Amino acid sequence: MASAATSVWPASWNRQQRSSATMITASIVLVLVLWLLAIPMAWAPEPIGNNAQAYAEGTRVTMALTIISALAGVLIGVLAALGKTSKVPPLRWIASTYIWIIRGTPLLVQILFVYFALPALVPWLRLSDFASACLALSFNVGAYNAEAIRAGLLAVPRGQMEAARSLGLSSWYTFIDVTFPQAFKISLPPLVNNVVALLKDSSLAYAIGVVELTNIGNRIQAATFQPVPTLLTSAVLYLVLTTMLTQISNAVERRYDVEGKLA
Amino acid sequence: MSGAGNGKSDGHLITVDKVNKHFGAAHVLRDVCTHFEAGKVTVILGASGSGKSTLLRMLNRLEKHDSGRIVVDGIEVDDNVKHLDSLRAEVGMVFQQFNLFPHLTVLENVTLAPRRVRKTDKAKADVRAMELLDRVGLKAHALKHPFQLSGGQQQRVAIARALAMEPRVILFDEPTSALDPEMVKEVLDVMKGLAATGMTMIVVTHEMGFARDVSDRVLFLDKGCIAADAPPQEFFGAQSNERIRAFLGQIAQH
Repeated sequence: MASAATSVWPASWNRQQRSSATMITASIVLVLVLWLLAIPMAWAPEPIGNNAQAYAEGTRVTMALTIISALAGVLIGVLAALGKTSKVPPLRWIASTYIWIIRGTPLLVQILFVYFALPALVPWLRLSDFASACLALSFNVGAYNAEAIRAGLLAVPRGQMEAARSLGLSSWYTFIDVTFPQAFKISLPPLVNNVVALLKDSSLAYAIGVVELTNIGNRIQAATFQPVPTLLTSAVLYLVLTTMLTQISNAVERRYDVEGKLA
Repeated sequence: MSGAGNGKSDGHLITVDKVNKHFGAAHVLRDVCTHFEAGKVTVILGASGSGKSTLLRMLNRLEKHDSGRIVVDGIEVDDNVKHLDSLRAEVGMVFQQFNLFPHLTVLENVTLAPRRVRKTDKAKADVRAMELLDRVGLKAHALKHPFQLSGGQQQRVAIARALAMEPRVILFDEPTSALDPEMVKEVLDVMKGLAATGMTMIVVTHEMGFARDVSDRVLFLDKGCIAADAPPQEFFGAQSNERIRAFLGQIAQH
């Protein structure tokens, strides 16, 4: 079901138009869900209906964690990928060390470290629970993004750089006009995987008290002694969010598939 | 307009002076000295591995020379970024594998460099690009992407893309070697038309017909040295050099 959403549009539309329509529609649906979620949920029987507002708020916090960290994570990923492919050895070392540490330690430890240990080390860096979670999640997904983007950069044929340079384009324009768009397209599927994983991993922010979807589900579970409906509701909400994210990103992928390689 | 040029090129557009190049242990160019004149079409011939593509690619610094000097239109070819940027804006290149930008339309391929490097505004660059696409017979394909074109059409776009920068010289690195036989002619015709306009062209190719009919001069490279430098009539006439005779014999057989 996830991959077929672009086929609901009129056959006369081309791939780009259908993809754009899917992107826009899925984004609008996502915003509407986040905004109005409490209304349909309030119709549900207890213990969900009377806690609809709390679930809706938790969903919004989860989405905020994900979107902020995903955007920052792409930026960090691009920088780290450039560092890792750089001709300057110190930049390569910094990028490699960062990726090595992040990928070699648990995300939960990273979140706890940012929230509890960072203020102890750097007293002026005392962040809220939400900001701490965003910071840890951004740097975590950034390290995985770096590998995806690096693979994309390496997959762009050498002739592309040569053609761009032979036309007199500076290394900056060669990167932003020629190399990066092609590398990004190649990196898109793994980047999407990372964002979907990030959405689910944001539940670890629970550990430092961020009131997100998992935290809400567990609180209501504990208060009502009804673990099945309360935790199922959290799970279903995650599923709705990941499904919409996948729809948007599939559409983005199709939008840039000018060669029609995707079926 | 030769950006960093100071005119010290002895009247030659390109001067190559005692240039050497190694790839690991292989000595691919040995003390190569030559000149290229404005408005002339030079064809570089030679067996595979003779160093002809390397020589061509050194003229716009896609390969670095180990020793010696190369001066293009008064610009010293070295690692100085200013020199490199002005050099590459003056020297166009057409590749064996076309190397069009697959994510851009044909029109965007042609206008990218003028807009970014020459800072031409979009409307002006588009008009100029359409003229050039018309010249290579591809005006109708301006809004397509490269994958929708045949190899011959892609190579013609690549020529238009190089022309859009209004270079002083265009380098052709085996422009027809990756093409199906029936598409070779359409690319050679565009190149012939270009030669007729007085464009300075340096062409590495195996197309002997083009060398014979269109070029002003043939350079023959053998094991990294210039083994012959002659007008085509002389080169393809009674050839005394044994290796060149062997080379021409092999080419003629297929």
